[in-house]
Amino acid sequence: MKPYLALIRSNLRLMVRDRAVLFFSFLFPLSFFFLFAQIFHASASGGAMSQVIAMVLIIGVLGNGFFGAGMRTVQDRETGVLRRFKVAPISAAPVIVASLVSGLAAYLPTVFLYLFFGNTIYHAPYPSHLGSLIVFISLGLVAFRAVGMIVASVVNSAQEAQIVIQILYLPMLLLSGATFPVSIMPLWVQTIAQFLPATYLFQGITSILLGGESIFKNLVSVFALLTTLAVCLLIGVKLFRWEKEEKIAKGAKWWILAVLAPFLLMGVYQTFTRQNIEKAKILERSSRRRGSALFQHVKIFVGDGGVIEDGAVLVKDEKIAEVFSTAPSDTQSLQANVIESSGKTLLPGLIDMRIHIGASPDVYRHLAAYLYSGITAVCNVDQSIREAASAEKYDGARLFSCEPAQARELSLSGAEAAYDFETGNPELLNRALLRQVGPADRIAATREATLKNRGHAATSTLPRANQSLFESFQSGATLIAASDAGNMLVLHGPTIQHELELWVKAGIPPAAALQAATYNAARALHADDRLGVIKKGYEATFILLDGDPLADISNLEHINAVYFRGGHINRSALFDQFKP
Amino acid sequence: MSEIAISVRGLHKSYGDFEAVRGVDLDVHEGEVYGLLGPNGAGKTTTLEILEGLRPRSSGTVSVLGFDPGSEAKRIKDRIGVCLQHTNLPDKMKVCEALELFAAFYTRNADRDKLLERLQLSDKKDAQYKTLSGGQKQRVALALALVNEPALLFLDEPTTGLDPQVRHEIHGIIQELKEDRRSILITTHYIEEAERLCDRVAIIDAGKIIESGTPREIQQRVLGHTAVEISTDQAMPLETLPERLRAEKYSMRDEGRTLSMQSESPAALIVELVRWTGECNLTLLDIHMKRPTLEDVFIELTGKRLRE
Repeated sequence: MKPYLALIRSNLRLMVRDRAVLFFSFLFPLSFFFLFAQIFHASASGGAMSQVIAMVLIIGVLGNGFFGAGMRTVQDRETGVLRRFKVAPISAAPVIVASLVSGLAAYLPTVFLYLFFGNTIYHAPYPSHLGSLIVFISLGLVAFRAVGMIVASVVNSAQEAQIVIQILYLPMLLLSGATFPVSIMPLWVQTIAQFLPATYLFQGITSILLGGESIFKNLVSVFALLTTLAVCLLIGVKLFRWEKEEKIAKGAKWWILAVLAPFLLMGVYQTFTRQNIEKAKILERSSRRRGSALFQHVKIFVGDGGVIEDGAVLVKDEKIAEVFSTAPSDTQSLQANVIESSGKTLLPGLIDMRIHIGASPDVYRHLAAYLYSGITAVCNVDQSIREAASAEKYDGARLFSCEPAQARELSLSGAEAAYDFETGNPELLNRALLRQVGPADRIAATREATLKNRGHAATSTLPRANQSLFESFQSGATLIAASDAGNMLVLHGPTIQHELELWVKAGIPPAAALQAATYNAARALHADDRLGVIKKGYEATFILLDGDPLADISNLEHINAVYFRGGHINRSALFDQFKP
Repeated sequence: MSEIAISVRGLHKSYGDFEAVRGVDLDVHEGEVYGLLGPNGAGKTTTLEILEGLRPRSSGTVSVLGFDPGSEAKRIKDRIGVCLQHTNLPDKMKVCEALELFAAFYTRNADRDKLLERLQLSDKKDAQYKTLSGGQKQRVALALALVNEPALLFLDEPTTGLDPQVRHEIHGIIQELKEDRRSILITTHYIEEAERLCDRVAIIDAGKIIESGTPREIQQRVLGHTAVEISTDQAMPLETLPERLRAEKYSMRDEGRTLSMQSESPAALIVELVRWTGECNLTLLDIHMKRPTLEDVFIELTGKRLRE
C-alpha cells in the first residue's frame, strides 16, 4: 500500500507544479466549455447546456486518458524517468494505479466546475443523479487512462504513440456523439460507433445528465467500462515497459485488441439489437425538448375560446412557461431564443378524436404523418391495438385509445369520403398537404381502388351530417372534431384540416371549429389538464401557422412549425425515420 | 573468512542468435569493491542487470545475497542499491521528495537527512531536479541507491560522462562507502577508476571474463615485469654493467644518458643500479619506476583499447 500512496502523492505534487498539466486539465477544457456554450446557445436551453457539458466531459476524458496517461507514460519512458523505478522492488501495478488515481483527482474538479458554471451562468439545472454522474464519469476516466497506459505499453516511440493515439482519439471524439449528434449520422456510421468505448461513455453521461437516469439504468455502459478497466489493468501490468530499449515483442501489439474485445462484442450485440441507437435517438430528442423559446408578437388561439392578438409565448423545458397577453419589451431577461412571429398564429396541437389504425408496422408512419400535419394527438377506436404505441421510439403524434361507444363524434369527412368512394371520385387525394404526407404508392393504390367505382350511383349522407352538426352547434352541444381516418379516401395525415373546412362550410364559425379540435377534444381525452390549451404550465405542444385560421380556415394547412413537448419537430426529416 | 555477496557460475545470456554473456564466473566477497572492466558491448551491463533481477538469464547459477535473481528478484531488489548508468527524474521533483518516494518502496530505510549530508546535498534538498548540476544529479542517483541501507551496491559506470573534477568527487564518495564495509560491484571503462577504487577486478570482453584478480596481480600476471628508468648527467658506460644485470632486457635513450630496464624484482634492480652509477662516478638525475597500467593489460589481452 505504501508504494501506491507515495506514488499518488508524488504524482499530484508534480501535477500541481506542472503548468502544462494545469493548462490542459483546467484552462483548455474550460475555454472549450464556454466556446461550445456560445455556439450552441446554451443560455437559451437547458438541453443544449447538458449537451455541452457532456461534450466537454467526453473531450476531457479522452484527452486525459490518451494524452494525460498514454503520452505522459511514453515521455517518462523516453526520458529515462521510468527506468529508475524498474530497479526498485515494485511491479508496474503501483505505477499504473497511481497514474489512474492522480489523473482522476486532477479531472474531477473540472466536472464540478462545468456543472457550477452551467448552473450559475447558463441556468442549467444540476443533474438529478449527481452521485451517479460522478461515479460513472470517474469509472470512465480511469478506464480511458488504463487504455492510454496500454497504448503506451505497445508503442515503441513517441512518434508511434502520436499516431496510435490519433487513430483512437479522433474517431472516438467524432463518432461517440460528443461532437455531432449520433442520430444525424447514417446508420452504418452509427453502427461503427457502437464498437467504440467512447460511445458508451457518452451515452451513459447523457442518460444521466439529460435523461435523468441513475447509474443503475446504465449497467450496460458501466459493465463495458468496468471490463475495459479490468482487462487493461491485467494486461497493462504484464506489458508495462520501463525502458525505451525494451522493445515490445511483435505479437504483443495485438493485446490492444484484447482490450477492445469487450467493445467488439458490445458492437456486435448492438448491431443486432440496435438498443443503443434507439436510445441515442430518444436522448437526442429529449435534449431538443429542453430548449427555451419565446414566440414574440404572435396571435394566440388559446383553445378554450380566447384569442390574444399580439402576445407572446415562452417555452421552457417541455412546458409553456408563460403566456403574455401583450408582447414583452424586455426579452433579454427571459433568456430564450426569440422567435419573431408577427403575422403568425399559435394554437394548440390539433386532436383527431376518431381514427382507425390497425396493429401494423405502419402505425408509426401514420403517427408521423399526423404530427407532420400538426395533429399532435389522435384517438384510435380500433380494438386490435390496445397498448399505446411507444411514443418514444419514433417521432409521431400521441396515440390514445378510445372505446368505440364513446366515439360518437361527428365526422363530415367520413361522410364525404364514403360518397366519393362509392361514386369513384378521387378528388380528395389531390389535396396539397395530403400529397406531402404520402406515401405516394398508397395514394396511387387508393386512387385506383376509387376509380374502379366510377359511374356507380349513391346517396350522399353529407347534407344530413352537415345539418345535424349545425343543429348540435345551435343547441349549444359540445362539438368534438373527428375524421374517421383509416377508411377509404380518409388517409392518415392532415385529417383535421379538411374536416374543419367542411365544418366551416356547414356554417360553424372557425373559432368553434378550432375549439372542437383542441380544448374540447383534450377534455374528451381527460387530458385537458395538460393539453389542448395555450396556458402556463401546460405541455408545450402547439403549432405555428402562417396566417390566421380564424379569418380563413384553410390557413390550417399553412404550417410554419410544429412543437411537440417543447421540441421543434423537424418535419422534413420525420419520414426519414422509417428509411431502412 | 568473508562471506560471499555474489556468486556467479557459468552465466549465459543470449538474445536470439546473439550471445551477450558467454560463461561468466565471478565471486564478490562481502565488503569488497569488485570492478567489472570492459569496452562497450562487452556484456557488463547485461551481467549487472541479470544480477539485479531485471533480466532473466539463459543458463548458469547465480546467487545474490543468498537469493536467486531469476525467482527472487523482488527480495534482491529490496536489499540492493542500484546506481544506473543514466538516472533521470521528473524535472520538477525535489531532491527530498525523490528520496521520500523511493524510500516508500523498501522495507528498510536509511536516515534520509544523514544521507543527504553525507552526499553533500543538504542545501539542495528543496531544489528541483532540473536545476541540479551534473555532479549533483549523480550524487542524487547515489543517494537513491543508498536509500534502503543496502548491503550490496551496483554502480553501473557511475562516472561516465562527468567532468574530471566531478569524477574525483564521486570517487571520494565511493571510497567512503567502501569504508562502510558494503559490497560494491562497479562497472567502468575508466582504468584509473578501477585501479583507484577496486579491491579486485575482472576484465570482460565479448561476454567472457578474460582475466581477474587484484589490479596488481593482473598487471604482473599479464605483463610480468616493471620497467625501471634511470637518467644520469653523462652517458653510461654499459660495458661496466654487472654481468647479472646484463641478462635483463634493456634499452638506452638520450645518447646513453637514460637507461630503461625491465625486471620481475624492480626493487632489487634499483638498488643495484644506484650502486653501479656510484661506482662509475655518475651523477644520478632521476630514477623512475613504471608499472604497466590496466590499460596496457587490456590492450595486451584483447588487442583493443578500452574505450573503443
